[in-house]
Amino acid sequence: MALLEIKDLHASVADKPILKGINLTIKPGEVHAIMGPNGSGKSTLSNVLAGNEAYTKTAGQILFDGQDIDELAAHERACAGMFLAFQYPVEIAGISNMYFLKAAVNAVRKYQGIDQLDAMDFLDLVEEKKKIVKIRSDLLERAVNSGFSGGEKKRNEIFQMAMLEPKLGILDETDSGLDIDALRIVADGVNALRSPDRGFLVITHYQRLLDYIVPDHVHVLVNGQIVKSGGKELALELEDEGYASWVAE
Amino acid sequence: MDLKKLREKAAADFKANGFPTTKEELWRFTDVSRVATAEFSNDWKPSDLTFRALDKITVVFENGKLSREKSNFTELPEGICIGSILDLVDPRIGTLADAQSAFVSSNTAFFADGTFIEVTDGAKIDTPIHLIYLADVDGAAFHLRNFISVGKDAQVTVVEEYIGQSGATYWTNAVTEVFVADQGAVDHYKVQRESESSFHFQTLEAQLGADAVFSNHAVTFGSALGRNDIRGKLTGEGGEAICNGLYLLKDKQVFDTHIFMDHAVPKCNSHELYKGILDDKARAVFCGRILVQKDAQQTDAIQSNGNLLLSRAAKVNTLPQLEIYADDVKCTHGATIGQLDETALYYLQTRGIDPVQGHAMLTFAFANEVMDEVKCKIAKVYIEDLVHEWLDQVSK
Repeated sequence: MALLEIKDLHASVADKPILKGINLTIKPGEVHAIMGPNGSGKSTLSNVLAGNEAYTKTAGQILFDGQDIDELAAHERACAGMFLAFQYPVEIAGISNMYFLKAAVNAVRKYQGIDQLDAMDFLDLVEEKKKIVKIRSDLLERAVNSGFSGGEKKRNEIFQMAMLEPKLGILDETDSGLDIDALRIVADGVNALRSPDRGFLVITHYQRLLDYIVPDHVHVLVNGQIVKSGGKELALELEDEGYASWVAE
Repeated sequence: MDLKKLREKAAADFKANGFPTTKEELWRFTDVSRVATAEFSNDWKPSDLTFRALDKITVVFENGKLSREKSNFTELPEGICIGSILDLVDPRIGTLADAQSAFVSSNTAFFADGTFIEVTDGAKIDTPIHLIYLADVDGAAFHLRNFISVGKDAQVTVVEEYIGQSGATYWTNAVTEVFVADQGAVDHYKVQRESESSFHFQTLEAQLGADAVFSNHAVTFGSALGRNDIRGKLTGEGGEAICNGLYLLKDKQVFDTHIFMDHAVPKCNSHELYKGILDDKARAVFCGRILVQKDAQQTDAIQSNGNLLLSRAAKVNTLPQLEIYADDVKCTHGATIGQLDETALYYLQTRGIDPVQGHAMLTFAFANEVMDEVKCKIAKVYIEDLVHEWLDQVSK
């Protein structure tokens, strides 16, 4: 069964149509990349998938793990195994990262009918997952993303993904604002989480990230539609030729 | 002036001037006629209220009078002296709180007890001093006077907690004067849990020497009508004053915070972060005045006040006032009145946290930001528990 099946998806923001008929199927274990210029609808796609209420799905169907996600609110999609790594992670003063993560992990476990983690088990899990993205302990004690650098915020996103162990990870322009070292650490983290039963949707403007997270399939999104799909070599083609030939049409 | 004369003069001032009215600028938003017209008795009884001691050292007052039986300050570390203000004398009493209002002058005239704390030069006191004021006599007035003096390079942590019997109507009128000598540090907390039908007024005055630090966290849950007047005097270079606070109000509570930060000399910092959460028909006033005098170059003063309204009928008046007479200074202020951040709520949802829990977490986070920099862990945990308790009640 496909992990994610998007059929003829149309979506709009504030009554403005952005996505105009997207078809995409992701199977477990696959990494798909969606590349596109600014304004093509990349972030709209990730927000519609994650259940942001500011975005309206106007037509089509999205099946996640066989279930129509129209039936699921944003937090239920997360609990069912979907994870969105934000392009701009939100800063929340007053809540420590640890407190936030414990609430999240236990919310997901509760939904899935698994026992809640107590403080000790939770700390063990943190110690295990910390190694994946090499996140500093003091960042975990600080308020969520507050005063974090751009790289620290993105690392924190991947750390959260590692903690929540989703079936599908959606990376929304995770590479934006990262220098090459930070990019490599984030990509290493994602690669460590690749597994035969987990899928990824990597959304990016630039080919650079795909040197580190090598995709199985690449799709080009222009003006709300997928105009071309191919293998990883398509990303290199785009690097050489840019989006100009499609945007001009 | 000796204390006896000072008290006579204060009584005369109080008699001549009476209580302030809303025609006065400093009292424009807070009508105290309910206090001015009430009759208060001198009735006394031991208190039936219970409390949780934060640590080994406690000074407990029952209905305005020190209870040596309930207190625990007989065995103290070296360098600190604690007692009743009626037994210990210092010529500086009354020199900071010099009768700006009827509340200070009536306190100076009528105070019947209070805490005296003196820390000698170089003494660093690790155990927080927990002052507990219990009130459960209906119709009484409690004039409490506290004096805290910290010597050069000395340190102390003081938690002032006011606890009242639910349903009791009484008037707490407290004045606390704090003197921090050069390189000294006072970490001060005030937890106000008075009865929801009481009146609570406190003037807190702190004077800081060179490189001295005064940190104050004022957390208010109680009183029908209340006010904190907090005044910081930075009189030595390199001084730092932190005045953070949180007010959690519901029903028809009215609570007013007036801060006056006086930068008299160069190179001092002052930081004020105040948050409020208001439900029902509650009303809050926040007035933060920062004065940077002509000589106070390189002053760094930050003030911010954020409010979260849980009901359409709740109201806040927030008034920043900067008066700057020096030219090389950094002063910022900001005030917000708003709702919870929807993007933050969405972020929590994408991590599996449902909107009800997310809402509760963000409301707590909003309040708890003022506690982010708290040094005293015991006080932090205690206050966080009280905030959770209040939020749980409101969400029901």
